[in-house]
Amino acid sequence: MKETILLTKHMRENPEDSHLIESYEKSNGYTTAKKTLLGSSPEKVLEEIKASNIRGRGGAGFPTGVKWGFLAENEERYLVINADESEPGTFKDRILLERDPHQLIEGIIITCFAANIKNAFIYIRGEYAKPARRVQSAVEQAYQNGYLGKNIFGSEMDLDLVVHLGAGAYICGEETALLNSLEGRRGEPRLKPPYFPAVKGLYMKPTLVNNVETISSVPWIIENTGEEYNKLGVEGSTGTRIFSLSGHVNVPGNYEIEMGSTFGDFVETLGGGIRNNKKVKAYIPGGASAPWFRGDQLNIKMTIDDVANNNSMLGSGAVVMMDQDTNLVNAAKSIVSFFAHESCGQCTPCREGTTWLEMILDRVASGRGRTSDLELLLDICDNISPGLSWPPKMTTICPLGPSAVSPITSLMKDFREEVESMIPTKVLL
Amino acid sequence: MSWDDKLIKQAKKIVKLYPQKRSALGPLLHLAQSKDGYISDDSVSVISELVGITEVQVKSVSTFYSMYKQEPTGKYLLSVCKSISCEINNSNSIIDVVKDFTGLSNNETDEEGLFTFEAVECIGACGGAPAIQVNYETVEGLSTENTLNLCEWLKNETPDLVVADELQNKFGGTKSFDWAISDNSGTTGSVPGFQTLNTTKDKK
Amino acid sequence: MSDNVKINVNGLQIESEPNKLLIEACEDSGIHIPRFCWHKRLDPVGMCRMCLVEVETPRGKMLVPSCTTEVSDEMVVDTESEIVKKAQEGVLEFLLINHPLDCPICDKAGECPLQDQTMAYGPGESRFVEEKRHFEKPIPISEIILLDRERCILCARCTRFSDEISGDPLIEFIQRGNKTEVNTFPNEPFKSYFSGNTVQICPVGALTSTSYRFKARPWDLKSTRSTCNGCSMGCSIELNSSQNKMLRILGVDNEHTNQGWLCDRGRYNFEYLNSDQRIKAPLKKTEGDREETTLQDVYSDLSKIIEDRSNKITFLLGSNLTNEEFTSFNEFSNKLGNNDNSIYLNEDILFKGFFDENIENAKIEDLNKSDAIIIWAEDLKETLPVLYLRVRQAVKNGVKLVVFGHTNSTLADISDVYFGGETVSNDFEIVKDISKLKEIKEHIKDKNVTAILGKASPNQSDQSLEKLFSYLKDNSNLKLLNAFNGGNSFGAFQTLGSVKGNREFSSEISKETTDLLFVVGADPVGKSIFSSNIKNIIDEIPTVVALDLFIHETSELADYIVPTSSTLGEKEGTFTNIEFRTSRIDKLIPSPGQALSDWEFISGLSNFCKFEGMSESLTDLNNKSFDSFALDTKPTFDNLDKPRNLDGIINTSVPNINTTDESIEFSDSFYVGKKLYGDKVTERHSKSISLLGSSQFIEGSESTFEKYKLNSGKCILVQENIEITVSYKINPSLPDGLIFFPKNRRNMNKLDFSKNIQILPSHSMEVLNVN
Repeated sequence: MKETILLTKHMRENPEDSHLIESYEKSNGYTTAKKTLLGSSPEKVLEEIKASNIRGRGGAGFPTGVKWGFLAENEERYLVINADESEPGTFKDRILLERDPHQLIEGIIITCFAANIKNAFIYIRGEYAKPARRVQSAVEQAYQNGYLGKNIFGSEMDLDLVVHLGAGAYICGEETALLNSLEGRRGEPRLKPPYFPAVKGLYMKPTLVNNVETISSVPWIIENTGEEYNKLGVEGSTGTRIFSLSGHVNVPGNYEIEMGSTFGDFVETLGGGIRNNKKVKAYIPGGASAPWFRGDQLNIKMTIDDVANNNSMLGSGAVVMMDQDTNLVNAAKSIVSFFAHESCGQCTPCREGTTWLEMILDRVASGRGRTSDLELLLDICDNISPGLSWPPKMTTICPLGPSAVSPITSLMKDFREEVESMIPTKVLL
Repeated sequence: MSWDDKLIKQAKKIVKLYPQKRSALGPLLHLAQSKDGYISDDSVSVISELVGITEVQVKSVSTFYSMYKQEPTGKYLLSVCKSISCEINNSNSIIDVVKDFTGLSNNETDEEGLFTFEAVECIGACGGAPAIQVNYETVEGLSTENTLNLCEWLKNETPDLVVADELQNKFGGTKSFDWAISDNSGTTGSVPGFQTLNTTKDKK
Repeated sequence: MSDNVKINVNGLQIESEPNKLLIEACEDSGIHIPRFCWHKRLDPVGMCRMCLVEVETPRGKMLVPSCTTEVSDEMVVDTESEIVKKAQEGVLEFLLINHPLDCPICDKAGECPLQDQTMAYGPGESRFVEEKRHFEKPIPISEIILLDRERCILCARCTRFSDEISGDPLIEFIQRGNKTEVNTFPNEPFKSYFSGNTVQICPVGALTSTSYRFKARPWDLKSTRSTCNGCSMGCSIELNSSQNKMLRILGVDNEHTNQGWLCDRGRYNFEYLNSDQRIKAPLKKTEGDREETTLQDVYSDLSKIIEDRSNKITFLLGSNLTNEEFTSFNEFSNKLGNNDNSIYLNEDILFKGFFDENIENAKIEDLNKSDAIIIWAEDLKETLPVLYLRVRQAVKNGVKLVVFGHTNSTLADISDVYFGGETVSNDFEIVKDISKLKEIKEHIKDKNVTAILGKASPNQSDQSLEKLFSYLKDNSNLKLLNAFNGGNSFGAFQTLGSVKGNREFSSEISKETTDLLFVVGADPVGKSIFSSNIKNIIDEIPTVVALDLFIHETSELADYIVPTSSTLGEKEGTFTNIEFRTSRIDKLIPSPGQALSDWEFISGLSNFCKFEGMSESLTDLNNKSFDSFALDTKPTFDNLDKPRNLDGIINTSVPNINTTDESIEFSDSFYVGKKLYGDKVTERHSKSISLLGSSQFIEGSESTFEKYKLNSGKCILVQENIEITVSYKINPSLPDGLIFFPKNRRNMNKLDFSKNIQILPSHSMEVLNVN
């Protein structure tokens, strides 16, 4: 299999200065936005996005055209770019922000034109200092060259874009928590209903929250038509997507591919296979929230629907390979510990449950587990995500709780002996 | 108010960027962090007035996020990633090296005020695992040996400006992706180097 | 109602108003869904997850939080399925893993929702073998409240109450996830006037009151419902006592008045009832000293004076008496042939008000139903605190708020229009033409308006308010609340033949007019702006009888002091509030020593004087108080005890207030008002709150104090041979030149505001912490 280069085209062709406006303009940058603002209409843009069938690249995979269609009418509307990439294993937005910020800005301009939005924000996680600097410089350059501000390209459209730094909270990647954070509050998710961002978002006004990669795809779609985008990939997972590959592979990195190949093919061909010729014990198909696949399930296709049908999620597109020598209990503990630290604390099952799971796994991993811990782990998980079903039901406000359940159900379903082997059965007198 | 006029002026400029004052709370807390190395009670009072909420409301937000430190930090904040990709790629050894060298446990600062060590969650450098951040400047693909070199270099050279590209070239290994051209900008404290906060400078 | 929604809960058909929360709809139909974070009077947040129920959806059954789900027609709900039960068990197990085993030493035990719901819905055992979360416990977060963070289940009721209802968010969640705790900012205690409400609504023993800590178990308590008489809101309260000592006061949810909330003074100012400083026996003044005597002796002496009198017998009554007691004095005064001119109410601010058959008297709940609320009165937060909460609630629901300065600046940030110094002068006159004020016109023209009107300061002229009133009357559908805030002053208005105040008393009464003066439950010498005049009057009147609980600056001047019962739990009667709603006052504890009700004293005295035709019993007085009202709405004891009348009965009437309309002149730009906490004798003897009203200060804008060259935090007030050192507080909302004096703080009674007061810088560098 090969990569299909769309989003990463400009940066590959201009490694010296892809992040600078002169370079972007030389590659015909901002011409799509200009054509759109001066010659197209919001309805036409929405049609193209719908025709592309592009699904959100943040993790939820919601059809972008449908999302834009939900935005309620109002004088005051907002676009917020979710650049709070914090899902362990994921670093695809980072390359887009660091190496091609202008592509994102052009996407923002077109999106705001389509949705009649005058104020946009890019919420970048605080730890992404270098990407944030690159984006801020790009925004300043865009203002200088008249691509942001008043009467862009001489059209009627005004747009103000503010780069806002987060401060270290994974939960702010959840769209309503992000809006709360942007409002200067604790990053606590809101209840949906009634606080659907499309209706009651930032400052309780209709708001579009979209991922960096999604909006970065907009210029290509508008330039080349949604129909062309739709031809790439497979039905239900159209276009191209950047997958972040990490773990025990020879060549970790970001790879832009059309969806449809198998994970095995992807890892062998583009990732260079597993280091030291080891076998895959387990792998995570879509970021730390996703249930694991076994080493013998490498023939699952990398599409949103195929992965979902196998009871996991393609999520943020982060593939983490774990080889045959990996201590999976430690791996599970690492992931559960992540969610326990990042829990916002609002609702009881997640706040208390994730930390309890972490404590038990810690005991088990350090040889102080009890046989009753096995069922206990699963029962606690059941109280966070009833039925341990997929897609998960939740007793919590947001999916962070059920995310913590994923590694444990994976562990217990497919690797139970490994866990059991860590529990002492002899009592030393 | 111990924020000088210049800082207040910058703070007010930031407040103006947003449709509602309270949104400036996040950046103002970063500003406070850049001033003192942590969020002092005094900063909380100043910010509460600028933004129009009570002090405990400011504190409620500042303690929610891990990047706003409640205790003074050292000149170099060493954040070692311990999330899944780094964990299965030996981040524990990197953590041990840093702990040994600095003599610090998690979230501790040394007496000289040089280093603060923290084991953090995913910093988005998974392709270059294991990875570290020094004042939020990322260094990817570390070996235990290079980690030690990095720590020693920081201790001996005590650079005022920490630049990701410089550190990567000196001590880094596999990167998550091709960084392409280096740039020269970095940060001056335990706060992200970002133009709006005036915390970034170019290295000469 | 035809608009009702039909839902199916556990197989039962239930009807509900549309848009009601599922948890509330079920509750109203007798189906209890367990919960911690949901409270009827707070916005729902769905945080505790205890109220999860299963609802049928096109995609199958879904678990939803019933406190954030609105009912919809044909909804099918299961609150008892296996999945729901497991979820409930799960949530309780999660809450209990870090909850300390404090029940044996926790105040809440016995009335604890966590205990009750664990018994009813929880797992039988704990499976948690790890270390529980630990915090230093408990920590004081204010003078009256202690916080135990280990017990806290993070339901956010306290933080939401402070943010949404009382508007002083001084406690908040700190940290994140499992480390989250509720706390205050260092050195910034939870100094809200409404902090006690958080103790009442906390579902565990995390928040406790210093006054009740370790005092009793709920099953030891005797309770009765009564009415608070701290101000004219008449909040519904529940009194709790044990072993004949008053131990606690709780708020009762009365939809029409306080909706369950109380101000902290109403909640905590009761410890004085148990004070050993209370007068236990009648006292008689003899040659510079006082000795105990008997009631018979007092009656005997007084009856002689009454018989031999050549001038009038005058009564100065405090506003804390019951309606029946006012009636008793009215009767007695009429019997003495005083006609209408000898009963005075201990109120500095008393004027004709706006009572008339043509003026519609508002109900408190009208605040929520209006288009706009107009306020010009004393500081509501200090004088009618729960009314302040209701105004805030109305604004939250979209009602527009117009406020005239300068006393209600605490409402400025939620008001749509605030008229400050450019419109209102320092002596509270509107300096512009009201009809030309555009900002107010758009909110009131032909709209439903509820106005809260009263003098903002004693020196505001009647005419000043009348101008505003006429404008409102002519341009809107006006309903009005007269903001007289003294205790049962509306009860006095309804039952006394004619009412006058301290001002009239200090100008009309002297030894030439009065032989015998009764001062009943009043301390004008201690707390009135006419203090020095009144003191001189009291000194010169031949015989003065004080009926009171304690010896204070007024009662100590009396020739006879008779101990009386407190209206707070020591007597029965009725109370009428600001909307003319009459409700029950009930007795729970005995009075100390020989203390008796004021009406009992008058009854005894009348008997001794052999007066005939006087009311013989409390029921007589109760009937007599409400003679003029229609039978089925008469607030008789019987009628008030009926279940549908427990929240009180409204009977509007037009009082006969006989005050002068001449303005009081202050010598300078001063204004005078009450702070919620003062230096009253009852407050001094209520240990938990006694320090809260102790600071002495004045308030003004920064430039006002600069003109006086003040810079050390303190200043000296000088008037003739009086020197008082106080702090000065910067209040940026006050216009230049205007200075506020809190009249119910120590030593303020020494000042005569009609005369010149010098404000001199103090050279002390000490700065007081000012409340």
